[in-house]
Amino acid sequence: MPSKRQWMVAAGYAVAGAVYIAIGVFYTDILLSFFVALAYLLVVAWLVPAGVRRLF
Amino acid sequence: MPLLLGSYAPDVMSKWFVYGIHIGGWDLKATDPVQFHRGWPGVGFTHSLLYGVVWALIFWRVFGSKTWALSFMIGQWAHAITDTGDTVGTMLFFPWTIHIHFGAWAYAGQTGRLTDAAAYFSGPGAVWDLVWIVLGIFSWRVLTRSYFEQHVFPADAFWSKANRFVPMTALLVAYRAAFFYGTCRWIAWSIWAHVVHHYPYDISWGGPHWVNAAHSPSLTWPQLAGVFGIVATGVAIFFVSRREFGRRSWAAIRSRLKLA
Repeated sequence: MPSKRQWMVAAGYAVAGAVYIAIGVFYTDILLSFFVALAYLLVVAWLVPAGVRRLF
Repeated sequence: MPLLLGSYAPDVMSKWFVYGIHIGGWDLKATDPVQFHRGWPGVGFTHSLLYGVVWALIFWRVFGSKTWALSFMIGQWAHAITDTGDTVGTMLFFPWTIHIHFGAWAYAGQTGRLTDAAAYFSGPGAVWDLVWIVLGIFSWRVLTRSYFEQHVFPADAFWSKANRFVPMTALLVAYRAAFFYGTCRWIAWSIWAHVVHHYPYDISWGGPHWVNAAHSPSLTWPQLAGVFGIVATGVAIFFVSRREFGRRSWAAIRSRLKLA
């Protein structure tokens, strides 16, 4: 079974996925390209957390 | 990375022209999307086994990477073989231009991107994608940081080169992006098709039957015999080369250990 930390990471991706899906349902263009998803994920799962860590 | 690129390779330059795009005052779209996408004349050769072999040879002999060569070819073959599941199929044995097709789900690329998506995520294609998502969830360990650092990162020089410019955390996110994208697009298109627009599910063979699907003609008996001959030859070559490789490897090991 995944560790507690791994569950936390998975939960973070699940939240990122829920937002991506919510946008995608109403603006389907973002669902058409892997590279858009990659850019989105890099922003929400790397750049934003890194920025927040730097601020606090 | 090469596996992912290989899996996208067949459609990367063609799908936009199949669906059509609008740039300024120009509408660019293939006059016969099915012929363009899967046929010859057209770019249907991108869905053939030979196309993967040519790219593999380029990666191996020009760029010197067997890992990229083999991985790219596996990804491209996976796409080309998977697309034989629809009603048009692929010219798997190009330059032989017959279409290998099992007709499990409807090909509806010619209807435009939205109807195509609605059809795909209403039929057996959606079930097929779901199988891989479930398999990915059961194989969750391959998505962990430790697996990436111990197995993926050392196996492909791309990652270490990229690591000169971006940190490991970003690479890990990029590595996970393919599964993230595949899973999210499946859920999003399913919601779009069935909750927002109420397209009916039809997971019967060849479905959904509410869409105007394109079809390739059935293979004749001589064509089937030809396909069987090609596949049998390929399997025979694979096993003979494997046996030969095994015999040589064993001889090398015995020689090294001075057993004979």
